[in-house]
Order: sequence, then C-alpha cells, then structure tokens
Amino acid sequence: MRDEAAVSPLMKAIAILALVVLLLPVAIVVLAGLNAGEYLTFPPQGLSLRWVWAFLSSPTFMGAYLYSFVLALVTTLISTALGTLASIYLSRSRGRAAAALRGFFMLPIVLPGVVLGLALYVFYVSTDIGLARSFPGLLIGHVLVTFPFVVATVTASMVGFDLSLEEAARSLGASPWTAFRKITLRLIAPGISAGSIFAFIISFGQFETTLFLTVPNHEPLPMAMYISLRYKFEPTAAAAGIFAIALVALSTVVSARLVSLRRVFRA
Amino acid sequence: MSISEGRILTRKAGFSVSEAFGGFRLWWLVLPAFLFFLAFFLVPVISLLAISLNKTVPGVVTLTSNLTLDNFVRIFTRAIYYEAIIRSIVIGVVVAAVALALGYPLAFLIAKTEHPTRNTILMVLVLSAMQLDMVIRMYGLMVLMGDTGLINSALMWLGITSAPLPLMYNTFGVVVGLVQVTLPFMVLSLIGIIRAIHPSLEEAARSLGATRGEAFRKVVLPLSMPGILAGSLLVFALSISSYVVPALMGGWKVVVLPIHIYQQIAEAGRWQFGAAVAAVLFVTSLIAVFVYHRAAVFTSGGRT
Repeated sequence: MRDEAAVSPLMKAIAILALVVLLLPVAIVVLAGLNAGEYLTFPPQGLSLRWVWAFLSSPTFMGAYLYSFVLALVTTLISTALGTLASIYLSRSRGRAAAALRGFFMLPIVLPGVVLGLALYVFYVSTDIGLARSFPGLLIGHVLVTFPFVVATVTASMVGFDLSLEEAARSLGASPWTAFRKITLRLIAPGISAGSIFAFIISFGQFETTLFLTVPNHEPLPMAMYISLRYKFEPTAAAAGIFAIALVALSTVVSARLVSLRRVFRA
Repeated sequence: MSISEGRILTRKAGFSVSEAFGGFRLWWLVLPAFLFFLAFFLVPVISLLAISLNKTVPGVVTLTSNLTLDNFVRIFTRAIYYEAIIRSIVIGVVVAAVALALGYPLAFLIAKTEHPTRNTILMVLVLSAMQLDMVIRMYGLMVLMGDTGLINSALMWLGITSAPLPLMYNTFGVVVGLVQVTLPFMVLSLIGIIRAIHPSLEEAARSLGATRGEAFRKVVLPLSMPGILAGSLLVFALSISSYVVPALMGGWKVVVLPIHIYQQIAEAGRWQFGAAVAAVLFVTSLIAVFVYHRAAVFTSGGRT
C-alpha cells in the first residue's frame, strides 16, 4: 500500500511543518521585496514594485547581480568542459585508478567552504602569483566547488549508456570524433545541460568559498547581501533576492525535465 | 596516486573503449581536470595543513621548515578555542537531531507519494530550497525572527507578549538557521532508503495485528537506520562547516570554529593559527563524512 494513506496524520503534519521551514523564509523574501513600506511589518502594508525598481537601478545590488551572473557563467563553461571530459573517462574506466579519481574529484564537497577558500587564499598570497583577491582567483574557487556536481550529474546520465551504439557508428565508417559527436554527445546532452545548470546555481549562490577570495568593491550577490544584512534589512536586497529565487526555481524545473533528480542526488 | 598508474589500469580495463576512440587514450580526457585539481586543490590544501604547523607570526605568511605543534597545543588548552570546538559539535548534534525529526516525515511522505506530478513538485520544492543562496534564506529568517520581526510584532500585536522574545543573535537562532539550511540534505538522504523498504514488510506486520504506529516503529524505522545515520552525519558535517549562518543568525555572539578562522585571518592576521583552526574543523568534518560514506555504502549495498 504505497500511497499517502500509509502516512499517519501526525507524520503528515510534521512533513507540512518541514515544508514551511523550507519555504517560509523564501516567501518572506519575496514579500519583503514587494512590500510597500520600508520594513516588512505585521500586518503587511500592501504591495508595490518600488523596491524592484530600486533594485534595477541600484549600483550595489544590480552590479552584484550582474557580477555573480558573469562569474557563474564563466565558472559553468570551465566546470562543464573539464567535468564532461573527466566524466567520459570515469564512466568508461573500471579499476582502482578511476574509482580513486572519482573520490578525489568529490573532495571539494567534503572540505568546508571556508577552509577551501582559506587554502586558496593562503596559496595565492604565499606564492605571490597575483591571484589573491582577483577575478581569476575567485573563479578557480568556484570551478572547484561546482566541479563535483557536474561530474555527479554527467556520470549519472551515462549509467546505462550503450557503447555498442558508438561502435556501430564506427563500423559504419564514422571517424572516432564523428561517432562521438553524432552519437555519444547527443545522447548525453541532457546530462551535460543539467550538470551545467547545477554548476551555475551553485556558483551563483556560493558564499562560503567566496568569503576569502572576493575582490574588494566587486562583491558577488551573496556577499553584497551579507554585507548589507549585517547593518539593516534593505528591501532592495530582498528585491534582488526575488530575481535570484526566480532563477533558481526555473533552473531546478528545467533540470528536473532533463535528468532523473533522484539518480543525481542518490535519493 | 600517479598518472602513470592510472594509465596502466585504464589500459588493462578499458581496452575496447580506447579502441572505440581510435587509439586515442581515454585518460587524456581526465588529465586537464586532474592537473587543475592538483595545482589548485591538493597543493593549496596540503600547504594550508603545512602552514598550520609553523610558529604563528602575525602578518607573515611564508611556509618555513620549522615545524611545531604549538598552534594545536594552544587550541586544545585555551578555553576560548576548545570551547568553540565543543560549541560547534553540540550545535551540530542538536541540528542533526532536529533536522531528522522534521526531515524524516517529509522524506516518508515524498517516498510514499506515487502520483508522478505531486512527487515531482515535492522534489522540485526541496531541491529549489536546497540550492537557493543561503544568505537570501537567512534574510527571510531574520525578518521573521528579529526583535522587531514578524513573529515578535505579531505576538505583541496580539497582546501575547509585552517584550520581544530573544529568537535571534543567540544559539537558538543559529540552530534554527542551520536546520533551515541542512533540512533538504537530510530529506534527500532518507528518501532512497525509505523507498527501498518493501511495502509488504509493513503490510505483514499490520496483518499480524500491529497498529500502524507499531508497524512503523518496529519495521520501517529500524530498516531506515542506515539512511538516518548517513543523513545525520551529513547534516552534522554541514552544520559545523557553516560560516554565514552563525555569522548572521548568531550576530558574532555564537563563536563557532568557522567564525574563529575568519577572525584569526581577517582581523588578527594570524595565518598559521587560523590555518590550525581550519585543520581542526576539516578533520572533524572529514571524520563525520568518512563515517557517512561507510553508512552510505552500506545503504546502497543493502538495496535490491
């Protein structure tokens, strides 16, 4: 009897409470960004788009949003390229070397983000290679944290890939490159797209790794929001949050259509 | 592990595959990522660990060969530091317990929801909440829980309390923030294992006279133990690693390990000592993740 009837009322009530814990803060950000007053109060004061317009013309938050967008875009390109190539190797190689490499590539998830950022910062400063507090230095940190998600998604989409399809193309006279491009790449394209979406989202919302690597006066959105939150609740920051929420929700829906989310997240 | 070792193993195991690539050796594909990780992951992390073994000299960050355990002795003998370790661990344990109590029923509901659309909606909600920038979610929580926040102003407006309840800038606020952040990871760790429990086991218990509650406690719950263990350890590791949640929800009053690291480096310029605190945090989280990995392997091994 695998249906909702098997779930007791108490379990259902707690499950709904868990959903509230997950979603209420998000709903509040949306409300705060659309609120008419300076500060979200109880009872609310009515809706307005003034903070949305304030965000769109704010040099701080719009600048940070665009900076995060560009950073996430470049991160995604590099991470997806490196990750897809590595995934082809990982999914086709058996043996200890491939298993060890797979574990090695997952390490950035294990390492606390602050520690990874600090390790890179210390490395940049002590070697004096000009990467400390620079865009390329920050980019390297973001590629490291997003890479495991690309590898997990792309290798998951390759499970059950039939190598004989590629071999069939080869035996019909296609060059290895043509066979790869026309057969393999087309079949794993949804996995690559989903992996790049995850990389984008993780980079766009990344705070912990960014902490030690951020470029002065060029803060990504999470850092800019963090700095403003230390002093007050700016409704403009909440309006920026609305655009970030929309981006994440859209991306998750798209990636859910591309790959089995259960398989990627091992759920 | 050396690259040549990888090459030999690949040749042995993946011969037909490299043939399919027309003699193009497969391991070349992994080389760029491997070199990138070598230069910007392995070397920095090892140098961080090495620098933590140097004597602390404020403002100086050069690796010397004079190794000493001074920094670690200091961490484990000064109350301000070992109390931060204990505080981090206690908060991690409490967050894992609360996330389990809230997350298990949600995972159970999602696992038992057969309807494909409803199931996808629930998964998308959990995943969107997980992937959304933590600072944005903390903004929402802070508006809710601050002294003049929604909860307190509603309570006072209704006349239930006369002064605001201290919900934030304390340990309670940090725990609530961390539960919000880690809950999706708990739910995702549990869904798989709950789905893998065959419904007939529960039905058998019911047909032998067990109530729904008894069948759950005596059959379903024990069988979910590997997932419970894995999820709790993952949540624990994430909780002790977080900087932004204690910084915002605790307002620097709840000093946990990541806050110490930041203060040592950014405010005091004591790189070697900060690196040592980072090493302690890393090792604690590594132990939790190692046990998590064993539990997760056990979980998937037990699945049909």
